[in-house]
Amino acid sequence: MPNAILDPTGTATAAAKPAAARAPRRASLRGARVGLLINTKQNAAPFLHEVGRLLVEEYGAGSVTARTKLNFAVPESEEVIKEMAAQADVIVTGVGDCGSCSAAAAADGVVFEAAGLPAAVIVTDSFRTTTEAMAQLRGAPGFPYATTAHPVAVLDEDQVKERAAGVLGDVVALLTDPSAPGA
Amino acid sequence: MTGAVIEGPPDPDEAQRAIEYCYAQDWSDGLPLVPASKPLVDRFLATVRRDPDEIIGSLEQVGRDCTVYLAAVNAAMAGCKPEYFPVVLAAFEALMRERAARGGGFQSTSGPAPLIVVNGPVRHELGFNTAGGAFGPGFRPNMTIPRAIGLMVRNAFGVREHVFGQATQGVPGRWSICIAENEEESPWEPFAVDGGQPGGVSAVSATLTRTCEFIDNRATPVAEEVLRDFADTIGRLGPQIFPQTPVALVLCPEHAQQFAGAGYSKADVQNWLIEHSGRTAGELRRAGKGGALRLGASAAAEPVSDEYFHRVLTQPRQIPVIVAGAKNAGISMVVRIFGEWSGTAVPVGEKP
Repeated sequence: MPNAILDPTGTATAAAKPAAARAPRRASLRGARVGLLINTKQNAAPFLHEVGRLLVEEYGAGSVTARTKLNFAVPESEEVIKEMAAQADVIVTGVGDCGSCSAAAAADGVVFEAAGLPAAVIVTDSFRTTTEAMAQLRGAPGFPYATTAHPVAVLDEDQVKERAAGVLGDVVALLTDPSAPGA
Repeated sequence: MTGAVIEGPPDPDEAQRAIEYCYAQDWSDGLPLVPASKPLVDRFLATVRRDPDEIIGSLEQVGRDCTVYLAAVNAAMAGCKPEYFPVVLAAFEALMRERAARGGGFQSTSGPAPLIVVNGPVRHELGFNTAGGAFGPGFRPNMTIPRAIGLMVRNAFGVREHVFGQATQGVPGRWSICIAENEEESPWEPFAVDGGQPGGVSAVSATLTRTCEFIDNRATPVAEEVLRDFADTIGRLGPQIFPQTPVALVLCPEHAQQFAGAGYSKADVQNWLIEHSGRTAGELRRAGKGGALRLGASAAAEPVSDEYFHRVLTQPRQIPVIVAGAKNAGISMVVRIFGEWSGTAVPVGEKP
């Protein structure tokens, strides 16, 4: 009997992760407290603030609070997630435009959903694969998210606003379900 | 139970089947792997007194750990000899101590490569190249140990290109840079002494690098003229994205001895380069990099004039100095550090 060739990945014995829970949707954003999680990448702050402003102006959201990630490359700590969950009803996070921060944005989104907050994750279209791989790894295969064209960092102020307006419909669709109770 | 017993010539067809099997599992970095069997991996594990299940590194963001056992399997597959295994563990420990590696380094668009530096008697005991061709190839420990680290990242951490690995272009020679310092021709203390180890101890230091850039300067007897050449490369605009741009110097023995002969200690070299390496604010702005002046904690507090000379380094620890290569020309490397390097040296063969 020859020796087996050993597996260098260690995944053959790893237990399958349970599917991550998804937050219940609101029928609309009217009166909702919006939490922005800004990942510090260039133009992420003006992009998300413009999304927040438009959610208030056009969709009747009640308020916007913003928080900046300490380290864009890794998922946010449980404490920060809990604090934001106490202050907000829905989350918008991004803008993922690098290898580690796009994956981290997806991981944050999955955790917010499990904490009961609908989350809209925004990444640039160059990072779809890594975003989807991270969501799958975190027990949320097929996790929906929004994209904007790459790159974002080089855009001027007006272009950032245009992009934010362009992604707004997708963000609202991610955060709401018109058939939910209370419509 | 030790050594693989070869009875008669090995069967090349079986070897090829085993290699193709490893490719089919998606375990390979693109080059053939040595198929690892339990007897082979047991020989690796026998070189250290460590629990095979001990976790030696975690990549929290992808939820994966690397154990002593997985390190041994990947080191075997990389082509390491069993006796290299304590160096593999020390190199991995040194690398994973660095925040840049634990954070998003392996996923980064910059596609950084580990730079591994080996000091002490283990260099000669295991047959590392300590002379010419320091950046390889041609020497089994120098080539297979960094490859083992790459396979651990790929297989144990699950970071594969185009999925969690998002390198835009990556670094030439990624997973193949392992330098054994030329202590014998260095005028200064071994690099591991700078990293906190006593002299004469076998130890490994590691960081992530974004590339190496050569300085060819072999015609002037004036040390400061050579240093000015280094400062020009260190201060250039390309790598500047933050106010600080750490580098390591891999000095050839000729440059190191020239500096020492002119009375420079390592600290003197570092301080000279801190003073002289940078560009003016105007040069940065004209290249669209004015942001590097203001981003981060050490940034200029006030808006500065175009004439302001922006130094890319402020601390000697941001310019680690290593001596490597042959004493046959004045050719050295400026190595770009990804993030920061603590410079800590990890002893070989001791549990950290």
